[in-house]
Amino acid sequence: MIRTIIVDDEPLARDVLREYLAADEDVEIVAECANGFEAVKAVAEHDPDLLLLDIQMPKLDGFEVLELLDRSPNVVFVTAHDEYALRAFEVHALDYLLKPVSEARLQSALQRIKQQSGNPRPEAGRLASALRAKPLQRLVVRQDDGTIQIVPVARIDYVEADDEAIVIHTAGTTLRKQQSIGDLAQALDPGRFVRVHRSVLLNIERIEKLELYAKDSRVAILRDGTKVPVSRSGYARLKELL
Amino acid sequence: MKRLELALYAFAAVTIAALASSVFLLSAKTPIGLATAAALPPSLLLGFIGLASRYLCRAMPLQSANRSSIAAAVIGSAAAASGLWVLIWKSWIAALGTRFAPIEINYQLIFALGLLLYLTTVAVQYLVLEIEVSREAEEAALRYRVLAREAELRAFKAQVDPHFLFNSLNAVASLCGSRPDDARQMAQRLADFFRLILRLGAQERITLAEEMDLVTRYLDIERVRFGERLKTNIRVDDASAQCLVPPLLLQPLVENAVRHGVASVLEGGTIDIDATLRDGMLRIVIDNPADPDRVDQSGEGIGMKNARGRLQTVSDGKAVFQAGENDGRFHVSIELPR
Repeated sequence: MIRTIIVDDEPLARDVLREYLAADEDVEIVAECANGFEAVKAVAEHDPDLLLLDIQMPKLDGFEVLELLDRSPNVVFVTAHDEYALRAFEVHALDYLLKPVSEARLQSALQRIKQQSGNPRPEAGRLASALRAKPLQRLVVRQDDGTIQIVPVARIDYVEADDEAIVIHTAGTTLRKQQSIGDLAQALDPGRFVRVHRSVLLNIERIEKLELYAKDSRVAILRDGTKVPVSRSGYARLKELL
Repeated sequence: MKRLELALYAFAAVTIAALASSVFLLSAKTPIGLATAAALPPSLLLGFIGLASRYLCRAMPLQSANRSSIAAAVIGSAAAASGLWVLIWKSWIAALGTRFAPIEINYQLIFALGLLLYLTTVAVQYLVLEIEVSREAEEAALRYRVLAREAELRAFKAQVDPHFLFNSLNAVASLCGSRPDDARQMAQRLADFFRLILRLGAQERITLAEEMDLVTRYLDIERVRFGERLKTNIRVDDASAQCLVPPLLLQPLVENAVRHGVASVLEGGTIDIDATLRDGMLRIVIDNPADPDRVDQSGEGIGMKNARGRLQTVSDGKAVFQAGENDGRFHVSIELPR
């Protein structure tokens, strides 16, 4: 049985997928979601084999949904936008159906999943970061209580590494996220976010001034008065940009 | 290639004419063979001098305002050219000396001949230039028409987001299974909408009522897709409905309000459109909910820039276009003198 979740914000788009899937006895639809929040919750709850996922949705887009999943179902994108098709093809880990959806294409996607059952699936989060447009426009953070926070990158003051996680500082509040600071630095706009220290990624628009702190090390003083350490190589990177 | 050919013809024509006339002048007292041999080199040189008149014609086209200076330049250069030709003749005859039978020449006639031939050349050059100019003008007009057509098509493509079409067709496909009658109606609506866009887009100005008809058709299609999430509230007073506006001014803005507005909010919302005419000013406001966390924060996309640009063009800069966001709602306001 292929336990399936349909995610699309348009009711008619869900209807047509449900109708096509009904023809296949091996498919069971365990949930239908009208947005990304519902999808993240439903995947945690049902641990499906297959996620049929729209990309352009309110609040959370399809890639952000993938990033927030703690399970890794098979993913088939269903979208009117073909601009991600090439990237989806390159990671050849998932299928990509264009709207209007062809029933035959959906069937062949299902066949492929049946043949591959038992093979390890690629991790959803990794897929997401491979597929998402760069530089990243906003971060999505799933908190311990299950709520999801969306942070446009323009609101980030700086990001601090903390063990295997990062702490995102925005206007006095902090958010913790499981991610390496190196991965995040790669995804953000390098002209705006600079690794000023091994454990600090700084939004350079927040810098008020730089002060010499000790031999070879400095501190950046931010507009709100926060002090952030700047290493020697971090200072060199900053100087290149400023 | 064509220019070179023309120049060769002109050169040959002047040379032959000069040669024939000179031989005729000389032949009264000189045997025709000798006359021809003697006249050939100066005639060739006059051919070159005639060619040089091309630069004068190019430098002073007939279209330029100052006719008298053109006349002065032509007469002056003609006199100079003929003078030069007479000099060439004299030195050529001197160089020949009296080895052959003495050649007698009436230099006044030679001067007059040079003058005549040179002026004829100038006239022909001007004629050719005029033909070229008018052909270029025709080509430019044609090129302009092609460009204008291309611009229209580009504008059309920019006006309608192709994903709107793909998503609508997906809705039609979906309805085919569950509600075939609605599917037919949706297909009909799409066809009517696109036909109307093409028709209105080809006009210079349309009434606001016509534009609102287009907008309403568009919203009806989107409502099939978005269902309860998309609500609209349209108020257009009678006086403003008769105002003339550039076509497809509002439709892309309303499309933005759906795509970046209502579609970005989980529970959807209402798009308000208000149009009023007061003190000769048409004022249109489009107001829609927007997600403050949405990725595209710039607010001024291509649709917005196009609308702003077109408004300025049609109103000679007298229109006012404003866009802004507060309290989770995005609004665009347009003021256009009637």
